[in-house]
Amino acid sequence: MSLPSWEAWTCVWGSRIGDTLNYLYSIPHSIATAILSFLHINLPQLNYLLTWVIASIILLVVVMVNVIILIYVERKELGRFMDRRGPFVVGPAGFFQNFADAFKFLIKEMILPENADGLGFNSTLVIVVASSMLIMAVVPQAPDFYYTNTDLGLLLAFAIFAIEPFAVVIAGWASNNKYSLLGGFRSTAQMMSYEVPMLITVLSVVVLAGTFNFTQIVNYQASHVWFVVPLIIGFIVFLISIVAEIERIPFDTPDAEAELVHGWMTEYAGIKFALFQLTSYVRSFAGAAIMVLIFLGGWTGPILPPILWFYIKVYAVFTLFVWMRASLPRVRIDQVLNLGWRSLLPLSLVNMLIAAFLKIYGGVFHL
Amino acid sequence: MSIELIGFIIVAAAALVLALMMVLSPEIVHSALYFAGVLIAIAVLFFLMNAVYVGIIQILIYVGAVVVLILFGIMLTRRNILLG
Repeated sequence: MSLPSWEAWTCVWGSRIGDTLNYLYSIPHSIATAILSFLHINLPQLNYLLTWVIASIILLVVVMVNVIILIYVERKELGRFMDRRGPFVVGPAGFFQNFADAFKFLIKEMILPENADGLGFNSTLVIVVASSMLIMAVVPQAPDFYYTNTDLGLLLAFAIFAIEPFAVVIAGWASNNKYSLLGGFRSTAQMMSYEVPMLITVLSVVVLAGTFNFTQIVNYQASHVWFVVPLIIGFIVFLISIVAEIERIPFDTPDAEAELVHGWMTEYAGIKFALFQLTSYVRSFAGAAIMVLIFLGGWTGPILPPILWFYIKVYAVFTLFVWMRASLPRVRIDQVLNLGWRSLLPLSLVNMLIAAFLKIYGGVFHL
Repeated sequence: MSIELIGFIIVAAAALVLALMMVLSPEIVHSALYFAGVLIAIAVLFFLMNAVYVGIIQILIYVGAVVVLILFGIMLTRRNILLG
């Protein structure tokens, strides 16, 4: 058998146009070169590896800082929607409330229930957290700030989204608790049934843009029209599906506090529970980012730099999520599946038809 | 020994060990967990051979759907929850 050469591996970063402007490559590369020249080592492979590690750490820090800000934004906005003030005691305007909560979780005991299944209980935590962090590695944040820019980035992002459900059902089983088991079943059924309309909607975007590459999709929208205009049905379907996929409140039947006492997360205590909550915000961030990139024109916008536009749009979409959470009641579990299969699936197919029609006769929007 | 070969050997060995553990595990849900590990390792092998599309579809279909179906089948048949 033949394996690709070393040059083929390094071309993940090397062969793209404008890669010298990618700050997530150039900054770690200069740091790695400085470290290796200080140690008098001249190995290109080691340099590549070190660059890769430093870039991963920088990306992780960026995502984590965004998650902290997202939790704060959600608490403040939810407070305003409910006519109260939100956190305001710890730190300036209550910003350090998250850190106080994190320290509280850290000093709690990590409990493994007596009859729980240790392997399933702990390994699913690793799978859920790691796979959710991995999503942001394939989502570019600006033309000069991305980790990878592969031709199949959109498909890869949804493939990584799809890893979580089986880990959730094992976590619910391993907790040895009937509420957890019910929560795991509900979560997996919901995620699998909403993945179908979501992927068909994504496919309509791909039909119009002609590529799976995030950067090229954004460039296409910049030179033609944002896809939210011709594909407004798809935008609504995608919004509902992504909220169901990240299990936020109108669709949070898997971890409904009132009926299932946090569903599949019931038995997780201390920092494990904190990590699951953190993961749900990472998924919210990734979902909002993908929605901005494929429907709302990504990082394009006047005057301000691209990365700022990207974050403005992501936080606007997240505010929409918080608005839905504050104003809508929870959907019942039988209604969730009815909505997914009987309403969203036909609507996504109609949207696909519109996309195909515009692709052929798209003179109106210059598509 | 080239660095590509080292990467291939690590992933292939992980796939083999996980497959053995899947067959030899006494608990059937653990087998499903190891099975997902085997499928992800095979997807990584596809990535290493520059067949990215096949690897992505492998994750999307097998890990995202087939393993979940297998788990649903397991859970609907036999369950000793809340027993010692």
